[in-house]
Amino acid sequence: MSQITNDEEFRQALHGLDAVQQRVVAAGFVEHVLSLSTDDRIAGIVKVAADSGASDNDVANALKSAKSAAIDSHTRCGSEGDWTDQAGYFVARAAVAAVTPLAQSKGGSPAWQAAMSCRMAKTSILIDNEADEAPSHNESEWQYSMLSDYLNS
Amino acid sequence: MMSEIEFLEWVRGPGFQIATIIFIAGVIIRLLEIVILGRKENLAEAKGSEMSSGLRTIVSRTIPDKGAFKRSTFTIVAGYIFHIGLFVTIFLFAPHILLFKDVIGLSWPSLPTPVVDAFAVVSIITLLAILIHRMRDNVLRFLSTKEDYLVWMLTILPLVTGYMAFHRIGMSAPTLLAIHILTVELLMVAFPFTKFMHAFTIVLARWYNGAISGYRGVQS
Amino acid sequence: MSASLEKGINALKEQVDSSVAAFFSSCVHCGMCADACLFYTETGEAAATPINKTEPLRRIWKSEYTLLGRLGKVFGLNKKVDDELLAEWETLVYDNCTLCGRCSMVCPVGNDIALMIRKTREGMAKAGHAPEGLIGATKRSVTIGSPMGVKLPALQAQISHVEKDTGMKIPLDEVGADYMLLLSSMEIMNFPEFIEAVAKIFDKAGATWTISSEAFEATNSGIQIGVSDIAAELVQRVVDAAEKLKVKTVISPECGHAYMAIRWDGPNLVGKPFSFKVRHILEVLDEFRQQGRLKISGKETQKLTYHDPCQISRRGGVIDQPRNLINMFAEDFVEMPEAGKMNWCCGAGGGVSSNERADEVRLKVFQRKKDQLDEIKPDAIVSACSNCRIHLEDGLEEYNMDIPLMSLTETLAEHLADD
Repeated sequence: MSQITNDEEFRQALHGLDAVQQRVVAAGFVEHVLSLSTDDRIAGIVKVAADSGASDNDVANALKSAKSAAIDSHTRCGSEGDWTDQAGYFVARAAVAAVTPLAQSKGGSPAWQAAMSCRMAKTSILIDNEADEAPSHNESEWQYSMLSDYLNS
Repeated sequence: MMSEIEFLEWVRGPGFQIATIIFIAGVIIRLLEIVILGRKENLAEAKGSEMSSGLRTIVSRTIPDKGAFKRSTFTIVAGYIFHIGLFVTIFLFAPHILLFKDVIGLSWPSLPTPVVDAFAVVSIITLLAILIHRMRDNVLRFLSTKEDYLVWMLTILPLVTGYMAFHRIGMSAPTLLAIHILTVELLMVAFPFTKFMHAFTIVLARWYNGAISGYRGVQS
Repeated sequence: MSASLEKGINALKEQVDSSVAAFFSSCVHCGMCADACLFYTETGEAAATPINKTEPLRRIWKSEYTLLGRLGKVFGLNKKVDDELLAEWETLVYDNCTLCGRCSMVCPVGNDIALMIRKTREGMAKAGHAPEGLIGATKRSVTIGSPMGVKLPALQAQISHVEKDTGMKIPLDEVGADYMLLLSSMEIMNFPEFIEAVAKIFDKAGATWTISSEAFEATNSGIQIGVSDIAAELVQRVVDAAEKLKVKTVISPECGHAYMAIRWDGPNLVGKPFSFKVRHILEVLDEFRQQGRLKISGKETQKLTYHDPCQISRRGGVIDQPRNLINMFAEDFVEMPEAGKMNWCCGAGGGVSSNERADEVRLKVFQRKKDQLDEIKPDAIVSACSNCRIHLEDGLEEYNMDIPLMSLTETLAEHLADD
């Protein structure tokens, strides 16, 4: 299996994974951006997600916890938006995606959703720092690399 | 001290004239006060017609929304009972129709007296229930002002005194009649300065409501 | 924005027109408006009775525009409007009202009480009696261009994220496009998938569209706080951008009050009709549906219901369109009791959710929506306002109910057929 180098391949590869594999890979994505969240619950959720032997009950509880974390960290309408805090919101969203069952997931790929939210979290951190330009980062490259390693192992 | 005949003549004469002038002038002034303020033209792209929606709401607001009926049942039912009762006792009672013929030259068929009598009794009982409700319900207790209680009094008095006059209860016929007429004159005088005005302004308010909502494409 | 009691009183005076005078003249204190207002029905607080919220405006009407009132003024007999009154009324007008308009629909004499409360806010705000959160949001709207402080780089970041995700170009500042999309800060910050959904749908429908880098904000904090000058300034930015880009239609996104602000208040705030149309995203999507430009594949099999955002349905007139669209992709669509123009407010609009002081009452009145949901027990709720969505999620969580919220636009996009 060669290295993944773009989103087309990335997406295709993710789509080819089964439910448990998607969850485990998604957990990996989220773990990489864990430091961007100040919510203690996320680490626990990631642990459950990363465990390929996790019971349905554990996953369901993790989902509940993740949804709660997402609601708690959203920016309320009209309040002063802090993009650094908002990164935590996207990490929570990624965690939600990671433990969402395949059938309920948007677009049929929880891992893809998780990956996008993780990238969004990275972008958020950079937004407040940049003055005039849209910020950019290499989270996607890291994700390609991580997925490639996973598939090769 | 006036004799009872002099009292009756006064309320039928000067009393009636004074009350009528205050009533008519007062109502006209109040309506002018409203209309003269005007309303800015709506510059947004319209979805519906103001005029027709407004006219529809004048009529349709008479029918309560199902959900509202469930939640405000007493207010709606009692309100309709006494309003209909007032309409019947004022406009469909033979002696009153004779008075209207005298004053404005028009007359129309009346309802049998026992029927009007029954409406009067039901209205009085309903108004009493309404008073108790107003004094006990926490929203109404909070909202109500002295004016609400005054208007209630002025509404029930003509019904009660009219009933007494017709059945000649307690005093001589002329006195009872004079008192009844006096209570009506009190109501007429208070009318333009109180919420009685809703009898006329309801047409404007409902029209505005329908117009504003209809402009946005919602029939209210 | 320097405030003073005098400015407040003058603002209230300006707000009295013939409709307001007709309304106050007709009120008979029947209390039916309370029974229609979730801030009364779920709290039992008589002060939350809608017509009571208008007391400051009523006193001004009485003493300035009625003969009896003007006489009373001469003899010092009238009830005053002072800082004490306005301070006391602040929580009634801002924390306990979303301007949802149910009261206006049930008043037997026809009073548009929500309009009267909106007008009352003008006086409260100019006198300095508006909630902190709203004052901040409004300041940010004026100086930064977004009530939540969302600047262009943030929007651009979201756009490039969406472009990567979809492989489509999001057109920024394109002259001559058919549609110019506005976005609420809520969507940019919390639901960037909305932009993605619009891009997909418009691509399939073959419609040209753009976002203006100079006026992308849909939320109008001026309307929420009740300061028409600010509201007008915010609208003018949109007008300028729409005219500069020569677009035919400006689209208001999934935000309730934004629609009211730009569609119905907009031209009246800036003093002249728009040279372009304004439509809610749902109206545009329904037009596409009618024109056969939307092809759907795959249905939602779970039991869905629709929450009507008040400013879009009851106060906005967009009631049938969401239902037409949902019926395209839903196999099991069930209406809430009292759906459509009499639906119950979520409890968070009109500035209530921006106001931390109102958190407790906001979650308390959610009970009304909970009762509606308990009657039909849906698997998911579809809605078309980001604020309703977040608040419903918040409320559902508070009451331990697990019912996911779905954006109508996003769900529609997910079910578009790949041709």
